[in-house]
Amino acid sequence: MSMKLYAVALAAVLPCLAAMPEVDKGKTLGSPSAPITIEVFSDFTCPHCKLLHDQTVPLLMKDYVVQGKVYLVSRDFPLNGPGHQYSREAFSYADAAARIGKYQAVADALYANQAAWAINGKVWDTVAAALSPADQKRVQTLAKDPGVAAEIQRELEEGTAAGVNSTPTLIVSAGIRRYPLPAPISYTFLRSLLDGLLK
Amino acid sequence: MASSNRLARSLLLVLRVALGAVFLYAAWTKLREPWPIFAMAIDAYGVLPERAVMVVARTLPWAELAIGLLLIAGLWRRVATPAASLVLLLFFGLMVRAYAQGKQIDCGCFGLGEAISWRTLLRDGSLLAGSLLLTLVSLRGGRNNA
Repeated sequence: MSMKLYAVALAAVLPCLAAMPEVDKGKTLGSPSAPITIEVFSDFTCPHCKLLHDQTVPLLMKDYVVQGKVYLVSRDFPLNGPGHQYSREAFSYADAAARIGKYQAVADALYANQAAWAINGKVWDTVAAALSPADQKRVQTLAKDPGVAAEIQRELEEGTAAGVNSTPTLIVSAGIRRYPLPAPISYTFLRSLLDGLLK
Repeated sequence: MASSNRLARSLLLVLRVALGAVFLYAAWTKLREPWPIFAMAIDAYGVLPERAVMVVARTLPWAELAIGLLLIAGLWRRVATPAASLVLLLFFGLMVRAYAQGKQIDCGCFGLGEAISWRTLLRDGSLLAGSLLLTLVSLRGGRNNA
């Protein structure tokens, strides 16, 4: 009987464990104990991701993250093809910056100047402008770490396994409930969803 | 002659029940999730203001449920089949429009996770054709058909 109960409990808990893979703390905002987790699968070269970063994320921060209701996690989802050829390079600097606590500064700079570096390929110039000379050296060294490239690939594979097929995609998790939301994402309805989950 | 009539009526019955089952499934996939999920799918088409999206997202799944039940039960066929055709015509029209515009959005047909593609268009087009046939038969042939 107790084995049966254990199996049932395990079956209920497993989806929760699978819902939140290991993630670099430098790429998160808010409290990990928040009742809702939102994973943002995005690409620094994607214009809709820039819109989400510039318009929706600040609202999410103000209304939910700062208040401890949402834990926001940035996840890498590098795209392929024309217009995205510098995507992985951008992620390698951003993920390296995450390891020294500078992910948000680098992400802000990459999105702010997306139109330029995504075309001319001057990714490092954009990243460097957001860092002190000392941090520049650390990020350049860390970006060459094979672990960074592995992290990008792992997150891409995790996103694909979770059903992500376009960017940006938000995966909203609350307990065992998990909702993948592809773009375009209306903040009005996102707010309705989050408020409903928080009730 | 009588046997071919029986066959035609049997095929129409199968079509009606199958269409009803599709409507029930469509309703279930939407009602099992919070309504803002379906609202986001409707909103992605970019044809309705937010207030209207909210109303449609909260009511359409229930309408699909009612249509599905009526189709399966064979009740109010002269209302249920045109209603099914109308819903499918609206969806199909919006999907064709979005596809032609190159929008890479979810179709919202059976919950999230299914982008509009030629496959979804073919599927919904077939459902629409079947529904129009049932509508035609039920409106022209009286209560004994379809």
